[in-house]
Amino acid sequence: MIFGVLLLANHSNELLKQVVIAPGSVAELGVPADCRADELEEEGLSLLECELMVSNVQITLVSSPEWFRPLMFLLSVSGVLFAALSISVGFSFVNNKNVNVNWAKSCFIALIVIDAVIFIVATNTGPLLRAQYLWSTLLWFFVHLFLLFAAVSISSKEIEDGA
Amino acid sequence: MSEQLPKAKVAMHWLVAIGVFFLFVSSWWMLSLPLPSEDFTYRQLPFQLHKNVGITIMVMVVAMIAISIVKKRKKLQIQKSRIERLASLDHLLTYFLIIACCISGYLSSSFSGWETTLWWLVELPAWSEENDDLNIFFSDIHLWTCWALLSVVSVHIGAALYHAFRNDDVIDKMFRL
Repeated sequence: MIFGVLLLANHSNELLKQVVIAPGSVAELGVPADCRADELEEEGLSLLECELMVSNVQITLVSSPEWFRPLMFLLSVSGVLFAALSISVGFSFVNNKNVNVNWAKSCFIALIVIDAVIFIVATNTGPLLRAQYLWSTLLWFFVHLFLLFAAVSISSKEIEDGA
Repeated sequence: MSEQLPKAKVAMHWLVAIGVFFLFVSSWWMLSLPLPSEDFTYRQLPFQLHKNVGITIMVMVVAMIAISIVKKRKKLQIQKSRIERLASLDHLLTYFLIIACCISGYLSSSFSGWETTLWWLVELPAWSEENDDLNIFFSDIHLWTCWALLSVVSVHIGAALYHAFRNDDVIDKMFRL
């Protein structure tokens, strides 16, 4: 459940990123950062940090191949849906002890596939995006792998007990 | 078997949990976006969404407190153990910090001169003209109450895991819909 909540937050944030950082936006046009002294003081930033915030957006835009944004959009929407489904699977385990474990297994397999595809997608971009995505995706991949095998062992124990 | 919690409270608990973690992860990211100006509008959507989710969470927490008060009135007062009193303190602190985070964030935004339109539908009142000092003051409160909330939530999750590994019915209550 806790992993489901964290994953849902993670994929929702990724979705927000893909919506906000769009190709052709102002950072790509070379407009200089607007770093007013009062804003810098308010945010506790140096002038250089403020300028680098624009570079941060440029890094994402320049490093993203054309196919990256639509693919990540699709993957994060799928991630949101399956994370929500994994939470409901958690609920159903408690509410109905006879819940079909196959539901849980299917859900974790889908999440593993999503992690694997994000990993492959990020691998095929440049080093700057790889640095942003690979490690966290690998961590989620292993979390989902553990959960899948927990579900697999529950289901095989059920079969043994029933036999 | 421990007493069943109202379904609405259980559902709201998990919605608040999702909302709180979304606010943490999205705020760390959105504060790395370029400072706002006429040209740079990257922060507009994330900040508006941040405020909308925050206000909605506050409404849900207030509703959860109301449900708890109504339930408590109906219940006989029984002597609580030390650990149960600590758990109650953790709940109270979590509720207080969520509300403090939301109110300080809203006030900071209000004094920064940015309007808040709840879910792009209802314009919320600004409390005064733009005031940098008050904006920074409430922004600092927002920051520190949120860090405190993260600490208290970690204790809360730790306690939940303790009950989960003991396989007692305390954890079951939070999953029953």
